[in-house]
Amino acid sequence: MATLIIFIILDVLVVMGHAHFVFPWSHIPGFFSLFGFLGCLVIIGGAKLLGHFWLQRGEDYYDKDNEHE
Amino acid sequence: MSNFPLAIIYIIGAVLLPVLPRQIRSAFFLIVSALAFFILINLETGASLTFPFLNYELMACRVDRLSLAFGYVFVIMGFLGGVYGYHVKESLQQVAAMLYVGSSLGVVFAGDLFTLIFFWEIMAISSLFLIWARRTQEARKAGFRYLLVHAFGGSALMAGILLHLQQTGSLLFTHFDGGVASYLILLSFALNAAVPPLNGWLPDAYPEGTVTGSVFLSAFTTKVAVYALARGFAGLELLMWLGAFMAVYGVVFAFLANDGRRLLSYHIISQVGYMVCGVGIGTAVAVNGATAHAFAHILYKGLLFMGMGTVLYATGRNRMTELGGLFKKMWPTLIFFMVGAFSISGVPLFSGFVSKSMVIYGAEMEHLGAIVLLLSLASIGTFLSIGLKLPYFTWFSTDRGVKTQPVPPGMYIGMGLTAALCIAIGVYPALLYNLLPFEVHYQPYTASHLIESMQLLIFTGLAFWLVMKKLHAEATITLDTDWFYRRPSRLAFNVFSVSICELFGAIERLSLHLVRYLVRVGGNPAGYAVEVTRNAGHILLRTEKPAREPLDFSPDRYRIPLGFMVLVVLLVLVVLLAWDFLF
Repeated sequence: MATLIIFIILDVLVVMGHAHFVFPWSHIPGFFSLFGFLGCLVIIGGAKLLGHFWLQRGEDYYDKDNEHE
Repeated sequence: MSNFPLAIIYIIGAVLLPVLPRQIRSAFFLIVSALAFFILINLETGASLTFPFLNYELMACRVDRLSLAFGYVFVIMGFLGGVYGYHVKESLQQVAAMLYVGSSLGVVFAGDLFTLIFFWEIMAISSLFLIWARRTQEARKAGFRYLLVHAFGGSALMAGILLHLQQTGSLLFTHFDGGVASYLILLSFALNAAVPPLNGWLPDAYPEGTVTGSVFLSAFTTKVAVYALARGFAGLELLMWLGAFMAVYGVVFAFLANDGRRLLSYHIISQVGYMVCGVGIGTAVAVNGATAHAFAHILYKGLLFMGMGTVLYATGRNRMTELGGLFKKMWPTLIFFMVGAFSISGVPLFSGFVSKSMVIYGAEMEHLGAIVLLLSLASIGTFLSIGLKLPYFTWFSTDRGVKTQPVPPGMYIGMGLTAALCIAIGVYPALLYNLLPFEVHYQPYTASHLIESMQLLIFTGLAFWLVMKKLHAEATITLDTDWFYRRPSRLAFNVFSVSICELFGAIERLSLHLVRYLVRVGGNPAGYAVEVTRNAGHILLRTEKPAREPLDFSPDRYRIPLGFMVLVVLLVLVVLLAWDFLF
């Protein structure tokens, strides 16, 4: 929490006034903290969902096809 | 000194190496690399080596700032790989690695498309032997798949080049302007850059290479493709979107991987995504960013593969589910690995920080908000998997009491040198920026950039720490686009092999039946006729067919007696004589 507050203060003090490029998120203090936190959870959750419901298979998945060898 | 194609040095080296005594082969590898570096720094910009071939003018050595930047990092990485693999005494691997480095340089300095495809194909074949040299069943199979995919890519390239030649009459390798020919060439470049959906071969084959082989593999093929894309297709918007998609795609699949080197392979796809995206944006800043990122990436990804390769060498294992608690036994490797991990994650003072941000800066300059967010999301995933998850499950987590064997000093020296370069570039970015194709007006160490990066990294770490207890590596494999040629292979095997065998079998059986029939008919026509008539009689009259021939059956039972044939012959003779006598 303390880190978040420090970064928001830094963000407001340093970055806000000097941003070269203006994007919709440039006005949200601490945007990249939030983005980092949520992005990480989204990647973990998204990958797990994709994996469990679709893509992850047993390690012998392809070997089953090669029984004729 | 006039220009000399660097590839020749390596090819001569590869020919000489097997005839040298075993003890000096590794040193010879380093000498050749050093010689190549000496020639490289003396190359003259713009100068080119042209010679006629058939009706065309070929340009085997074209030097400009773009090819030089890639040339430098390839020669350096070849040398570092040689140091890391100093203990390897197997000439197959050394020759393959030398040809692989040489042909990659051949492509980078190729001024025309014939030279390009010549080295392009050597690159595919020589890299294949770095996989097969592992000598396991999995490596053999993955190698064959790798070969087939790259043979397909090479054919697309050849077809594209021939069409391009027919349409434009020029073989010069410059920017392509669209049309079928350039799409074919784009297809083969994208295949080598592992752009989804053409990415399946990379995470399939790279984890199966030898300990040192995969260090080389991680560096060259994809980055040669990035160079080729930057030369031929800079500014193609499609590449920008594909690249950003690819960066996230690699990260998601990497998170699901269990094999450490497969996880790193997916991050090659992700990192190459930044470069492809930079090339697609196509401005001077973005192409600079793509080149810088390729340069930094080759070094830190080589370092990461060295780290996981060392773990594989020492323990014989590479799966996170089989590793853990190596910290006490292998802490020096962890330190080197973490330098690579901090570099790829873009931690300030490490090389990724000064290169990755250039690509993102290029996107910011063009006001491409979506691209900026996608690339930042990929950064998060990179730090999550390589900076946190992989080292956690390999060096900490549950101690599985894995036995380790001592690691040769060359591997540590190789990792140390590579790590030093990663830090040097991060601390003093001008080292890298001076090599880039366009003049650099970018300053990575600004307060706002530092604050944004630190926020991203720290809060990614926080999220990981919160869910860490629930995470565990899973002993599974993940389906990827290689499914499309691996799974239907059984069907293809049935169609092209089993069914054809069965067709031949059927024809063989049919002809054997025919022969048996002809033997029966020809051997005893009268007997056969009697039998057929009798059977027909039985069928027509619906009477019981005799179950079996009587026990005293003899095949001669219905055979015409020999005397009868003699009589026929004599009668014919008499008729002929009478004919002759009368007329």
